[in-house]
Amino acid sequence: MSSTNVGQSGAKRRLETFSYDDQIVKWFVIATIFWGAVALLLGVVIAFQLAEWRLNLHLPWITFGRLRPLHTNAAIFAFCGNAIFAGIYYSHQRLCKARLFNDTLSKIHFWGWQLIIISAAITLPLGITSGKEYAELEWPIDILITLIWVVFAVNFFGTLIRRRERHIYVAIWFYIATIITVAVLHIVNSLSLPVNLTKSYSIYSGVQDALVQWWYGHNAVAFFLTTPFLGLMYFFLPKAANRPVYSYRLSIIHFWSIVFIYIWAGPHHLLYTTLPEWAQTLGMIFSISLWMPSWGGMINGLMTLRGVWTKVRTEPELRFMATALTFYGMSTFEGPLLSIKSINAIAHFTDWIPGHVHSGTIGWNYMFIAGVLFYLVPKLWNTELYSKKLANSQFWFATIGLVFYIISMWVAGITQSLMWRAMDDAGRLIYPNFIETVIKIIPMYWVRATGGSLVLISFFLMIYNFYRTAKQGKKSSVDVYEAYSLDDSSLEHNPNIHRRLEGLPMVFAILSLVAILVGSAIEIIPSLMAKNYIVKIDSIKPYRPLELYGRDIYIREGCYTCHSQTIRPMPHEVLRYGRPSEAAEFVYDHPFQWGSKRTGPDLARVGGKYPHMWHYKHFWEPREVTSGSIMPTYRWIFDSKIDYTSLPKKIEVMQKLGVPYTAEDISSAISNAKVHAEEVASELIANGVPQKITEMEVVALIAYLQRLGTDYGSLPDEMAQLTNDSIKSEDSNNSKLEEK
Amino acid sequence: MKQAVLSHWDLPMLPIIALIIFMVCFITYTFWTYKKVNKKFYDKASQIPLQEPTKVGSYSKGKGL
Repeated sequence: MSSTNVGQSGAKRRLETFSYDDQIVKWFVIATIFWGAVALLLGVVIAFQLAEWRLNLHLPWITFGRLRPLHTNAAIFAFCGNAIFAGIYYSHQRLCKARLFNDTLSKIHFWGWQLIIISAAITLPLGITSGKEYAELEWPIDILITLIWVVFAVNFFGTLIRRRERHIYVAIWFYIATIITVAVLHIVNSLSLPVNLTKSYSIYSGVQDALVQWWYGHNAVAFFLTTPFLGLMYFFLPKAANRPVYSYRLSIIHFWSIVFIYIWAGPHHLLYTTLPEWAQTLGMIFSISLWMPSWGGMINGLMTLRGVWTKVRTEPELRFMATALTFYGMSTFEGPLLSIKSINAIAHFTDWIPGHVHSGTIGWNYMFIAGVLFYLVPKLWNTELYSKKLANSQFWFATIGLVFYIISMWVAGITQSLMWRAMDDAGRLIYPNFIETVIKIIPMYWVRATGGSLVLISFFLMIYNFYRTAKQGKKSSVDVYEAYSLDDSSLEHNPNIHRRLEGLPMVFAILSLVAILVGSAIEIIPSLMAKNYIVKIDSIKPYRPLELYGRDIYIREGCYTCHSQTIRPMPHEVLRYGRPSEAAEFVYDHPFQWGSKRTGPDLARVGGKYPHMWHYKHFWEPREVTSGSIMPTYRWIFDSKIDYTSLPKKIEVMQKLGVPYTAEDISSAISNAKVHAEEVASELIANGVPQKITEMEVVALIAYLQRLGTDYGSLPDEMAQLTNDSIKSEDSNNSKLEEK
Repeated sequence: MKQAVLSHWDLPMLPIIALIIFMVCFITYTFWTYKKVNKKFYDKASQIPLQEPTKVGSYSKGKGL
């Protein structure tokens, strides 16, 4: 519907009527609440599993290694994802004064995203995973994600083109950067070659894979958990406080700085690894630079509340948003701190990192989502909030739970790290036995699980509050609004370049893309080319077929969630694990398996350290060989047979990826693997294990572990002596522990 | 040849080049944004979330407009 009118400039202006599509926002709100409960529940379950290993229940699909990726995916993509879509669809329509571009696209977006989440919830517990952190989903789901993201983008940009507000408000800039960057990150990091419908290998290997993965991983935090939420902050905070943002100009600086800087920071996840030194320095410098825009944004948000602080005490939406901003400030202070190399040396691989992550995800994301939901639910259901008192209780449960979580992880992380590096006057490790350092921090795991439970309780209080709110909701009619269509009359006379840009969504999107690509290109391209000049080590050979099969089991079970495979060049690491890792050692690793957390010891050189029988017992009952171990049992790999027929195809795919397998390696893969299995099994059988073990998966996994680190020479004599002393001391400590 | 070129490429310069690119961009857009002449425009823009279009009616069912 439209009518014409004569505007101030004398030009004819068309007055149009329209309504908002709030139904789709309602759907995304419901999905946010549902998946939020699932994600938090999974988090609490795995937190208790770390404190008490028996809670793994000897069942493959609920073992920690498979549930942990499900928890992270559910929290990021299901809970935060649905919240982002709800918030963006609500605010985008209002900022554009236009209905969403296409109702059908909105529905496809909603149901497509739920289908992706359900696919993840089915495949990850089944062990169908690509083995790359925060990007575990296999290739068919990756393609679906891409398609649905395109649907979202079309719907979003279509709305933007039809807008009735000339200036594109800053929140929308953050949404544009999110849409563009997430697409680039997801596509580049997920590139892989399929073996079959449920298995693929990353096209990158070793150091390159690590760099691409953490470029993606860090920017998933940046462009999925930060920029869209900052966009939401710039809309919902002024709305809830009923006052404009403190400084619109600061928000512009905030936007460009965060988009430009964040993309470079990925390598801080790989400090002291075999990543080139310059790339590590680059990651560190830009991570520290992030302090500036992050705090700029936080200050801008908190200062918006000046004059309405009394409302923060009484209005749940403002209270949660203000707390979220405070935690955002805290975690964005801690992040750059952790990326300083000397601090990272202590914190990396310890519980300090999950503590930091959760101060961001619970403190910033959950709290902010709660704030947005407290604003949206009463409006969408056309009623008042059921209980502010309940919201108040929720707030305290969540805050106290989070404080428990963060502090316990600081204590656990720093304690364990100091134990790892403690050495006596003779230069030997004081705690050579890794398990001693684990047992020490288990009380902190109980505190963490308790904190997580409090956060979960807070979430259930919110669900009840919203359920009662929606129940008392009045049937609402759809409001119809009118606004002038965009025409030349709203154009500014002689605007400058940036101003013109602010009104051109597509050009703006391209410039945002350029901003993120500059950083990505400088960081990634040289590293991809670095493959050409990694000094080759002739003794490093591709995996034998059975080892490759074992490696796939290692990935399937999510071993990388607790074990690293990279030794940093530090005295205590060399003493504990052996020679520092070299880039050339990983050239055949598609994907890399360096991990990011050492709940158990590093495995880069575990090959040959123990007899086959030790591993056999360890998988059946870890406590039989390591007293006090918190590792789950892996009894199903004693019953599952090796699928030898899958091997030729796997090796063929690896060959296509550049691993130097010959045609004969492919044709003889099955017989080669069978002979290898018999070699491994013969030692087990000699120790009284039944004959049938030869066909079982445990043999392949042992073969893989026994290969790790064995290709690459030994330590210089003096170092080797110290390491041997440490191992001897570890053995004697082990027997003391067993006696206890 | 390619390997020789790559191995002599002075990669430690990259962080410095990156920092220079960023500083140039940062100074440019900060200067631009804080130019006095822009204040009025941005103050007006900051009001956008608070402006509601005129409500002209409502309907209970059916397809949106």
